[in-house]
Amino acid sequence: MPEAAPAGSDAAADSDAVAGSGAPARSEEPRRSDAPTRSVARVAACALWGLETALVTVEADVANGLPQFTVVGLPDAAVQEARERVRAAIRNSGFEFPLRRVTVNLAPAERKKEGTGFDLAIALAILRASGQLASDPAALCLGELALDGALRPVRGAMPRVRCALEHGLGAVFVARENAPEAAALGAEAYAFAGLRGVVAHVEGSVRITPAPVPAAGPPPVFPVDLADIAGQETPKRALELAAAGGHGLLFIGPPGTGKTLLARALPSILPPLDPDELLAASAIHSVAGLADPERPLLAARPFRAPHHTASRLALVGGGTPPRPGEVSLAHGGALFLDELAEFSPVVLDTLREPLEEGAVTISRAGTAATYPARFTLVAATNPCPCGMAGDPERECRCLPEAIDRYRARVSGPLLDRIDLRVHVPRVAYAELRASAAARETSATVRERVREARERMRVRLAGTGRRANAELTVAEVRTHCALDAAADVLAGEAVRSRRLSARGFHRVLRVARTAADLAGAERVRVEDLAQALLLRAEP
Amino acid sequence: MIALRPGDEGYPARLRDLARPPDPLWLTGELTALARRPAVAIVGTRRLTPYGERVARELAGGVARAGALVISGLAQGIDSEAHRAALEAGAPSVAVLGEGIAAFDAGVRGRRRHLATRLRQHGALVSEYEPGITAKGWMFAKRNATIAALADAVVIVEAGERSGALITAAEAARLRRPLYAVPGPLGALRSEGTNALIALGTARALTGAGALVEAMGLRSSDATGACADPLADPSAPSERGVAGELRDLLAAGPLSADALAARLRLAPPEAATAFAAALLRGEVVLTGDGRIARR
Repeated sequence: MPEAAPAGSDAAADSDAVAGSGAPARSEEPRRSDAPTRSVARVAACALWGLETALVTVEADVANGLPQFTVVGLPDAAVQEARERVRAAIRNSGFEFPLRRVTVNLAPAERKKEGTGFDLAIALAILRASGQLASDPAALCLGELALDGALRPVRGAMPRVRCALEHGLGAVFVARENAPEAAALGAEAYAFAGLRGVVAHVEGSVRITPAPVPAAGPPPVFPVDLADIAGQETPKRALELAAAGGHGLLFIGPPGTGKTLLARALPSILPPLDPDELLAASAIHSVAGLADPERPLLAARPFRAPHHTASRLALVGGGTPPRPGEVSLAHGGALFLDELAEFSPVVLDTLREPLEEGAVTISRAGTAATYPARFTLVAATNPCPCGMAGDPERECRCLPEAIDRYRARVSGPLLDRIDLRVHVPRVAYAELRASAAARETSATVRERVREARERMRVRLAGTGRRANAELTVAEVRTHCALDAAADVLAGEAVRSRRLSARGFHRVLRVARTAADLAGAERVRVEDLAQALLLRAEP
Repeated sequence: MIALRPGDEGYPARLRDLARPPDPLWLTGELTALARRPAVAIVGTRRLTPYGERVARELAGGVARAGALVISGLAQGIDSEAHRAALEAGAPSVAVLGEGIAAFDAGVRGRRRHLATRLRQHGALVSEYEPGITAKGWMFAKRNATIAALADAVVIVEAGERSGALITAAEAARLRRPLYAVPGPLGALRSEGTNALIALGTARALTGAGALVEAMGLRSSDATGACADPLADPSAPSERGVAGELRDLLAAGPLSADALAARLRLAPPEAATAFAAALLRGEVVLTGDGRIARR
């Protein structure tokens, strides 16, 4: 027989208010187990804004009053919708959703909470608060709930697990697909198929073992090897400099000369990721929902090649909640822009922030997210609208002003940041047929690049810079010492005034990388000479 | 801006050779520029090749340094390169426009706008059309006749079969002005016109800036400043060394660094050093797409 609601409770109606259903006094509430009901249950969860994380305590309070289910703590729409999911999941897992006044708080309440990752924690907190869960889940609880109680993976598991580990929480409860990410970071990752499994594990009736750390996997296979490309010694050299020093690189040449192929050979000579770059890049892929479940930690530096019709959103990120764009997915690796002149100038302009700051901040309706975006920029373009300028077999039909306008599309701040500009000529047929045995393989070059990076790391220790491309003017003065012959050439360069002061500082950075690749202590004349020649002015 | 009438002092007398001399001749810039003699018209195609660009610059620079006035049409291509080279040599240059000066100012953009400004400061812009008159096709042909009339000699650097520069050549022949053309590679589209002029005997083949200077009765000046002297003296023995070979290999047009190194049989480090040194001495430049070209 339904009892009347006790006096003093709110009369606010709720969508699930069952007419006349009672709200029994807490002390007489029938229990499903012998465990005492806690007045407020607490479960650990983690919030994510971009890559920024914070531990969240999901509190649940089940009190007398008309049936009502409220979530507070600035939940966004997805978190609000969790109410429906959690309610159905609890019922369909064989538990009872308390027909009382249920309040869930996501603490700290000050900051907006986003996404579906709190579903599991909310459900567990409610079960605990209503006496249906015998003990506290002493783990980070992360996952979306399906209406039938199944546990679904979420994006951004990796940074959240990292946050938990940093706060001394060594165990996590996640969906199967998120388990490798969590295990890879060294957490005790328990993978569950659904809510029932979590409860059984916590109560001890069916304990499971943590997921294993994912195997390292075979070394990556690169689609293009330098030895696949005939001739093109100078462009290959430029590629090596870009890989070692992180310098921006622009290939200019007629269509069909192999600019794209050269750019796609870059991943095969990039040095291995530093540990913190690895974590950051893997976390970004996790947040973007691109983590490979078999291999959550990236095996190689990322290589992103957006099409020239890509929008601003796709390139720098955005959306609600803000998701990483191509520039962030390329963090720690390379971003390749083929047909550079075909990109919308507006879109190209958005590259300024990441190139300058090494990160992008995306603001959307009250929330903001900052994603790292430090990458090596590689681009390819034709020399003129008809593409034939400089082709020995064809005549260019373009008017000089048309060429000027075309080249102006790739100009200003973007071009300024591209230290290396190389012509990619058409290779004679005879050379194409020449033996591939004589050509250097990517493996050989990669080793040189790795050693050069190591030398850079030693020299730049303490400055916070990873590669020569990042050196400031003052750092160039300190770190790019010239030998005697190079000094003479440098003097001529400055006197000839063919190079601006900024241009000269860029030349020195490239020269320093050339010297590092050769293992030279000081920058030599041939290093400086090479750097000077790789600065075609479009 | 001033309007010169045929009777005015400063109106170039040689314009009276035309059947209908410009009346008035509008001018903006330095009036004294027009008085500089001898005057050499250097014209050609708008769609120049790197070869044409180099030759135009060498000829204009050489003859300007020797004291001549370089006249051209300020069109993009050969004309603009000739004007630029003359200004860079420190000499004035005069542009004959195919439209009114004000109309030209309103319409010109980009590098030509900048060039026009420099010409006003060190040279002049002239036009036989009222300032507000915008360009129409037939006006350029008439302008070409004016160019030929203003000049003491006319040089066609590079011209295709149907280039407007050939009109300037025809006018030069009609006005009995000495006419020269620069030979180009056989079969090259942009040299078909110039080669034809030479083959028909209408124009004399020009082989270098030195020859032009001599033909104008001038003496070659010493090269000053950082620019290397581009005057090619045919009687001197060919320069030895990598620098000379470089000039030679690049005569027909720019080459990529790899191709150049291969032909010079130099290993990459030596090649790079040699090219960089040449770059800094001003003997070569890097083209917009990364090849090496002769200056």
